[in-house]
Parts: sequence; C-alpha cells; structure tokens
Amino acid sequence: MTQMPMGAVPKKKEEKMKLFRKPNKNLFRQMKKNYSAYLFLLPKLILFTLFVAIPVVWAFILSFQKYKVFGSEFIGLKNYIEVFQSDAFWIALKNTLLFTVVTVPFGVISALVLSTLIFELGKLSQSLFRSAFYLPTVTSMVIIAMVWRWMYNYDFGLFNYVLGWFGVGPVNWLGQSNTALWALIIMQCLIPFGVGIIMYLASMGSISQSLYEAARMDGASKFKQWIHITIPLLKPTTLYLVLLSTIGSFQVFTQIIMMTGGGPGSATETLVHLIYKTGFRDFDFGLAGAQSVVLFVIILIFSVIQFRVLRHDE
Amino acid sequence: MKKMLKKSALAAASLGLAASVLAGCNDKKEAGNADEFKGKITIWDGPRWPDEEENKFHWLEAKIKEYEEAHEGVEIELVQVPWAEMGDKLGVAIAGKAWPDIAPVDISGSAVSIDHIEQGVIESMDNYLDKKEKEDFYENALDAYTYDGKLYGIPNSITLHSMLLNLDLFEEAGVEPPKDGNWTYDEFLQAAEKLTFDRDGDGKMDVYGFSTYILPGYYEAWPFFYKNGGSPLNEDMTEFTFDSPEVVKAIQDLADLKLKQKVAPETLGGNDVGGTFQAWANEEQRTVAMEPWATWAIGAAQGAYPTNFAVANYPTGDSKEPVTIGGVGGWVMMHQDDANKRAAVADFMKFISTADEQYHMAQHYGIFPARVSAAEMDPFKDNPQMTRAMEMSDQVVMLPRHPEWRKIDEAIQNELQLVFNGEKTAEQAMADAKKAVDKIIK
Repeated sequence: MTQMPMGAVPKKKEEKMKLFRKPNKNLFRQMKKNYSAYLFLLPKLILFTLFVAIPVVWAFILSFQKYKVFGSEFIGLKNYIEVFQSDAFWIALKNTLLFTVVTVPFGVISALVLSTLIFELGKLSQSLFRSAFYLPTVTSMVIIAMVWRWMYNYDFGLFNYVLGWFGVGPVNWLGQSNTALWALIIMQCLIPFGVGIIMYLASMGSISQSLYEAARMDGASKFKQWIHITIPLLKPTTLYLVLLSTIGSFQVFTQIIMMTGGGPGSATETLVHLIYKTGFRDFDFGLAGAQSVVLFVIILIFSVIQFRVLRHDE
Repeated sequence: MKKMLKKSALAAASLGLAASVLAGCNDKKEAGNADEFKGKITIWDGPRWPDEEENKFHWLEAKIKEYEEAHEGVEIELVQVPWAEMGDKLGVAIAGKAWPDIAPVDISGSAVSIDHIEQGVIESMDNYLDKKEKEDFYENALDAYTYDGKLYGIPNSITLHSMLLNLDLFEEAGVEPPKDGNWTYDEFLQAAEKLTFDRDGDGKMDVYGFSTYILPGYYEAWPFFYKNGGSPLNEDMTEFTFDSPEVVKAIQDLADLKLKQKVAPETLGGNDVGGTFQAWANEEQRTVAMEPWATWAIGAAQGAYPTNFAVANYPTGDSKEPVTIGGVGGWVMMHQDDANKRAAVADFMKFISTADEQYHMAQHYGIFPARVSAAEMDPFKDNPQMTRAMEMSDQVVMLPRHPEWRKIDEAIQNELQLVFNGEKTAEQAMADAKKAVDKIIK
C-alpha cells in the first residue's frame, strides 16, 4: 500500500482549497491576459444584466410592495399571503402541475425512443429526420398554436373531421372544461421535443462501441443493450432534458393565451398566464412579483428533487 | 361687540377674496400657456380608416402636419400601436413611467383605470374646456370621462352594440325581420327557431338562428342579461347583484338557445371572436343568421364583408325596454410636469376633437360623434344601418366603473362560460360569481 507523504494534501482536497483562496494578483493578471475573452463576453453580460438580472431583482423587491406609479409602499408579506389565499393561484398551480407531470415524461421518453430509432439509420436519413424533428423548435409557438387551434376547431377542425369517419363527435375540444386542458396537453405531447432528440443523438454517438460489442458477445439482445447500456449512460443527458422541459412546462404561456385565454372558466389557467394577467391586466405588479417568486421557488424545488433523483453518481 | 363682529366679517371677507385671487393665480399657473411651449409631444394611436395607399394613420398624420405648421417649434410624434396591443403597451408604459403625452383610451379600466387617476397618472382637462365647450358633448360621453367631478379626457366617439340580421338568410327561411328593429324575446326566439335549418337535407343543421361569444372584456351578449332588469353591481358598487332572479333567468334563457332549443351552434358562448364573426359575415360561411356586434361590425359588413343586413334592437324582456351596452372613446392626457406643455397637449387634443373632425371620423370610421354639433351635421344621412344604430343611443347602459372592474368582469365571464357549456346552471354560476366578486369588492 502506498503511503501519502507527510504534509501532502489529497488532490481533490487541494482543488477544493484552491477555490477558497482569496483573489490575488494572479487572478487580475490572468484576467488581463485573457481580456479578449472577457471582451467577447461583455455584450452578453450587459444584456443579461439589463434584461434578466435587474428585472429579476426588481420583481423580488416589488413582491414586498403595493405598486404605485408615484411611490410604491412597502407592505411586507401581504402579497405572498394574497397569493396563497387566492383560489385562482391554486387552480393555476393544479393545472400547471398536471400539464408538467404529463408532458415532461412523455416528451423526454418520446425523444429517447425517436433518437434510438434515428441513430440506427444511415447518415443521410439521420440528418433528414434530425432536421424534421428539430423544425418545430425553430417555429414560433404562436404559429404552432394557430395551426392547432384550427385542428381543434369544432366545425372545420381536423380532429372532428377524422372522428366523423368513425361516427364519433364532434367534440368541442377547447370549449369544454373537461377537454380543454387535455387538448393542450395532447398538443404539447405531439410536438416533437427537438432539442431532446438532438442532444440524445449527440450523447449516443459518444457511447463507446466496445460496451455494445461486449454485450453482444455475452448474448444480450438489442433491447437489453438499450436498457442496460444506452439508458444508464444517457442519464446525465436525461437529467438535463428533464430539468429543461420541466422549467419550460411550468412556464407554459403562449398556447394558453393564443388558444383558450385560460378558459373555459379557469379550466386552462396556468401560473405564468395568471402572472401575466395580474401584472398587465390588473396592473398589480407587486402581487405579480410575489406570484413570480413563488413560481421560481416551485421550479427550484422540482429541479433539486429531479437533480437528486436522476443525478449521475460517479 | 357689533364693531368687533363687523371687523371680523371684514377680515373674513378679505381673507376669502385673497384666497380666491390666489387660487385663480394658481389655476392659471397650473393651466400654463400653450404658446410658450416649444418641444415634442408624443401621441399614440391605433389604425383607423385607410386612404388610397392603405395608410390607416393618414387622418392623424395630416392633422399633425397642420398643427406643426401653425405652431412653430412644436413637434408631434405619432406612435402607431395596434388596437389589440394598446391596453397592454400602455400598461407597461405606465409601469415604467414612459407614457406618451396623449393616448386614445377611456378611463373605464381597459387600459387606464380609476386607480391611475387617483395616482395622478391622468391629467384633468377642467382647466382647458370651459362650460360652453362641455355643453357641446353628450352627457353620457362626458360622464364616461368624469371621475370625482373632474373631466379626465376629451370624448371623440360613442359606440354601442346592436343586433345584426342577415337578411338573405331571413328571406331563405321565410322569416320577416322585426318591424323597425323592435321585438320581444319571444319573437326573437321564434325567429331563431325558423332560422335554424338543414339546407341540404343531410340531417345536420347548416344554418343556426343565433350565436355570440363570452370573453372577459367583451359585452356583445350582455344586453340579453339586462333584458328583465338588473345590473352586475348595485348603485354604490358595494354588492354583486347579477345573481338576482331576473338576471339569472335572462342568462339561462340565452344559454338555453343552445342547450335546449338548439337554435344556436355548439360554439355559442365560446371564446372565438373572429370565428363567430366569420360565421355571420364571411360569404363562404354565413352559418348564423343573427349576431350582436359593436358598431365597427356595421362598417365591416358594408365594406370588407359585403352583407345584406339590417340593424335591430336587442329583444326586450320583462322590463319591456330595449337595452344595449355602450362605450365612449376619446383622448386622455397623461401626467405632465411642465404646465406650458400641459396646455399645448390640451390644445392639440382639442384641435383633433372639433365637431368637424368628429363628423369626418363618424363618416369614415363607423362610430357615433360625442359632440352634439357633429351629430347634427348628420354624418349618416346616406347610411341607413348606422342611422338605425344611432337611434339606439338612448338605450345605452354603461358598465359599472369600479376600480377593480377587470377582475370583477373576469369572475363573471368565467362563470358565464360554464353556463353556456352546460356545466353549471345560471343560478349556480352566479352564486359562485358572487363569492368571487364579493372577495374582490370587499
């Protein structure tokens, strides 16, 4: 057994200690040396500060205020109390959770399955399918929502037309409380998760072929290889995609405002749509700020849980 | 003692005189002098009627040019904003204290509200319109811009809702339109039943008698809810009253057109504004014979969607009186720090709100003038449908001007949607709306 020399610090510990060292002249020297890199980062940093960091901090400050154009007043936690006492918030939270719980697993699993199928194809076919599935990602959600609104149209929509072949329907998809949210969920599920497919394909390409060769020599079927090699090794990508799509689903907005306006009744009301209405319809920016902070905390909790459950242990 | 009283009275009178002189001076100072202002005024406006080059801002652009030529050193910037985005954009501009000087909105809460007036975001026009000038405006138009006894804007138009009847479909179904546009609810229902028919004999209805939609901020269906009397809030706006038996019955009556009588399509009470209009006006559809619309639709049915149609009152109920919901449009001045600029802004607002301008706008833009003198010029002498709609002005009921009206409206309309879906009865829905509205009011 090799012994560590006296006074020596284990490599990992040494790296940790480096992080806690006070900034010294070296740091500034290094910054000076890499000034061109910082210069390239500067425009993005300025935009981020102006359009993300400052509004986020401002929304947080607003959440403790009764917003007024000339001189807002500090009201402590009153906005937060109002958030939790409001029926609209709980309805929106319930709808958002249902939307997220169904669309996130469906989106990620379907991306995984589709990527696996595409990965088996030749280079040309791979490029073709990759582009086809990525197309909805670069298409404006406004356009997609308008097309789906037509597809769900009671009189002329595609869905009711197809149902008509079987003597079923027509169904008032977006006009009934019991179908409206599900119609939006189905729509979200059927829009290919383009980013997921691209990322899974890239990750699959980096899995060592020797693992599959060894499995084949042991007589493992294609399905078993997929279950025992591909899926476990794609875990970091899966974690990233689950986090990404969970955040996206919690922020669902465009489909709601374009297709249902949160109705009928409150059947499709979601958290971001509620925040939008509170801020820009009721001009209650303090309450909207509090709602935003609560949404941030909810997403944070979900992300931490997902991270702990799915993280890739070394 | 007498001498003392006399002295005191004299002192009080002098003080009163001094106070009123000072107040007068203050008012004058507050009002400012438009001639002394040099600088830029910003005005927002939405698209109005097009010229030959399809420019829908040509009227205001021409007025700006005219004003700038007459007032050296004054520059007026026009910011073109789509009407659908006006409320949201102005809301954001107010929040960021980056408002324009003039905006084409009312104070009912759609873009600016009573709350904004109380916060000092909207300037009063009292210093700039004297009693004689105010007398030229319809009383309800001035009322719509008046809060706490002060005028906050210059009204330039009045709009209202009316029933639009497709006369081709009436003829096809062999139904006589109501005489002079007056009818009872029973007569309306009978017409709707006859106007619902299967044209090609495939067992499916091709034409329905009636349709409309239910959506926060839209009031096409609401005059039906007033037909037996009643209103959303009581007079002092402290109580929700849309749950009264007469209103509940009226709501249920309208929903039953779809749910029981089957004289309205499944989409009755939905949220598709464009689709509802297309069903009535689009030549390729025309699947609905009667729909209620605001006056802009009259212009559309005379222009972009040429339709053979007539204008009628909303049918009457137990109250026997026809009712419609109206709105007033106009200009408001946003907060100004400089008194001279305030005066210049007011001067320009008056310049674009003269009787001639309102007459011109009424003729081309399908709205009714807010000035009596403009209406007296008879802008609709060659337009029988607009003339008929204008006759409905005295039926107009205004919506309650509660500071939280947007929230109240949404609470009511959300419940109404469920009635028209058949998910709740009108009674249940209005009982639930009462709970929600009471929370908002109290």
